[in-house]
Amino acid sequence: MIKFDSVTYVYPTGVRALSGISVEIGKGELVALMGENGAGKTTFIKHLNGLLKPTSGRVYVDGKDTRSLSVAQLSRKVGIVFQNAEDMFFLPTVEEEVAFSLRNLGFDEGTVRRRVDWALRFMELEAYRNRSPFLLSGGEKKRLALAIILAWNPQVVAMDEPTVGQDSVQKEKLKEMVRQMVLQGRTVIISTHDVEFVAELRPRVILMSKGRIVADGRAEDILTDAGLLEGCSLLMPQVAATMSRLRDLGFDAKVISVEDAVKSIVERLRAVEHTRGS
Amino acid sequence: MSILEGLRFYAGETAVHRLDPRVKFLLSVLMLVIVVMYTEVWVLMALMSVQAAMAYAAKVLGRWLKTMKGSLPLAALVFLLNAAFFLSTGAYGSVQEMLYHSAALAYRLVLFLSSFSIFFLTTTPEEIGLTLTSWRVPYTYTFAFISAIRFTPIIAQELKDIMDAQRSRGVELDRGGPIERARRLVPILVPLLANALRRAYELAEAMEVKCFGATKRRTSLRELRMGPKDYATLLVSLALFFLAVYCRVFLL
Amino acid sequence: MEIVRVEGLTFAYSGSEAPALRGINLVVEEGEFVLLLGPSGCGKSTLLRCLNGLIPHFYAGRMEGRVVVAGMEVSKTPTYVLSQHVGMVFQNPENQLFSLTVENDVAFALENLGMPREEIKRRVDFALRAVGIEGLRRRSPFELSGGQQQKVAIASVLALMPKLMLFDEPTSSLDPLSAKSVIDTISRIRKEFGTSIVVAEHRVELLADKVDRVVVMHDGRVIRDGRPREVFVQEEMKPYGIPVPKVVSMAKGVNKSLMVFNEVPLSPEEFERGIRGFLLDKVR
Repeated sequence: MIKFDSVTYVYPTGVRALSGISVEIGKGELVALMGENGAGKTTFIKHLNGLLKPTSGRVYVDGKDTRSLSVAQLSRKVGIVFQNAEDMFFLPTVEEEVAFSLRNLGFDEGTVRRRVDWALRFMELEAYRNRSPFLLSGGEKKRLALAIILAWNPQVVAMDEPTVGQDSVQKEKLKEMVRQMVLQGRTVIISTHDVEFVAELRPRVILMSKGRIVADGRAEDILTDAGLLEGCSLLMPQVAATMSRLRDLGFDAKVISVEDAVKSIVERLRAVEHTRGS
Repeated sequence: MSILEGLRFYAGETAVHRLDPRVKFLLSVLMLVIVVMYTEVWVLMALMSVQAAMAYAAKVLGRWLKTMKGSLPLAALVFLLNAAFFLSTGAYGSVQEMLYHSAALAYRLVLFLSSFSIFFLTTTPEEIGLTLTSWRVPYTYTFAFISAIRFTPIIAQELKDIMDAQRSRGVELDRGGPIERARRLVPILVPLLANALRRAYELAEAMEVKCFGATKRRTSLRELRMGPKDYATLLVSLALFFLAVYCRVFLL
Repeated sequence: MEIVRVEGLTFAYSGSEAPALRGINLVVEEGEFVLLLGPSGCGKSTLLRCLNGLIPHFYAGRMEGRVVVAGMEVSKTPTYVLSQHVGMVFQNPENQLFSLTVENDVAFALENLGMPREEIKRRVDFALRAVGIEGLRRRSPFELSGGQQQKVAIASVLALMPKLMLFDEPTSSLDPLSAKSVIDTISRIRKEFGTSIVVAEHRVELLADKVDRVVVMHDGRVIRDGRPREVFVQEEMKPYGIPVPKVVSMAKGVNKSLMVFNEVPLSPEEFERGIRGFLLDKVR
């Protein structure tokens, strides 16, 4: 679905944000793009809908070179939700915000109405239809931004730091929405440094540092590798940090969820008890 | 943009940087006056060498040259206008004389900008603030000045982010006629204004808990104080300046 | 000695019908480190603003009850007086730094109070050292990371040498490593200077083993108040949207099958100790 072929991007100021990135992301994949602030995550995301075009190398979306398409054309395939949801809002009601994008992208009125209804229902915002977007809570604003993007049914949804400033209830809801989007067959790419959030979603993790990809693999493998994470100014999720302290006792160290950790510990302790007992 | 580039401060620790900002400001003004007094190209050349030497000493020669380069299109325009004016009025006997005078005028304009460039390149906005305070400008104005410098780049970044967000939902900023384009500014300006308002509120809160305006007699951590080097620079510059005035009035 | 006494505090912002706080009672002892938990919109920020006088001096509204901080009746004391006893660090570091160098920002409040230059110098040095950012003294906020900016904001409040420091979600915009570093700084300040601290935060993992007390708010009310161990073990936290540290959930999970933990652990270190202790007992 997405293919980066040795992409390098240098900002006009001379800052090299991406250097030689090559990666492929398939249809329906869930990917967490992780790394320190300034690792190049946002620059990566901006290449997905052509806001930025590579200085050298190629980015392909659904097989097409992004240099040959406009941002508006690419956006129909790739919807991006940026960190600050409020950067989008300028209309008097929630409903109009969602409809605005659909009209921009050239949908007919019947479709606009249907899609607005669907997106607001999916994001649980129907009750706020006629409210001003500025009066929504932080979590609702984030969901409205997602509703705006999802309304035109993009195959790829990318989110830049979606959990910043969100409380645990909102994160829980966000996690649910992400899972649903993946079930709908979309490719979901989340740029984040929230290790706990990623540990709960268990996606494929692409770890970036200083404009390069330093690791690419399962969340269980990457989030349990203290050395690797430290090099990227990240911390292990608490479950992994706890388990790594008990490595010498023969506990499974590649565990990032509470359930798996409990299972592993109980099994191991039972085994110990058993050998003692017999 | 390169003109503005020459007006931005870069941190440095040279003797020029350490000079009292008031002395540096006066120096720029004096140079300006000399530029206004003289049209002779050799005098202007001499003045430029002085500036170049200062820029070199302050290690900002490259950026100072950038300011000069940035002012070239403007200088070219001045040159052409002058030439056209002289040609149409026939004020000068020879073409050579006309060219010489037009060039001198254009050259003056370049020097005009370059003399202040050195001041801005080597003086922190904070020092400019202290200068204003030492001239008894009320602190609210100084604060406004500092805040403008502090927040302009942040707001510029915000503008970029908003444009990216709107382009990502199909807003095409660079298509259609002028009216169409003006209408497309609404999705950019409304969020920008909303962000600015929120920021203003947060800043006001933070100012309140930082005791802003608690007393009329505000003190400051740093204070401008003229040292021996500053007085020496001041004296030498004034002496040279009066020499220049004397020469203009009595000799040339 | 108590540093904060809140009695029957109800507050509604002007222009809004529903009160943001409904009958809050709270006492904080001097030197206590309190974590204020609750979902966004539960009234945490409003409560903090009642403690430093932004309410009712900066935000107007309908207020009932009494707030006494450091022996002063908040509603009758101007904010600039209160600020010298109660410091506040806000969520967004960018919008609480006004100057173009770190040291000027740390000096800002002292200058506003018209303190003598020598005293300002002394306190700026003290605050920069206490927060561990002496090296950034002459830097501009543009050049700093979010975490460093937040430390500057902390130093600028610390320079006022307050008895009580309030933090309103100080790490919400930071990456995990910076967040940890900011929380460690707060914890160190409290240890070194005995400053009383009330911090509203979502990152329980970083704070659970450092605070003395957890106060949980929901819908403008205090619904739990106790030691972290007591508060986090309670089953009914989830529906209120209160995050519980992962180690607590792990320990509870393990205890369902095997009684390993007599006392719920609050950090990976405590968890490890619990497991090793259990195994040692078995060996004996």
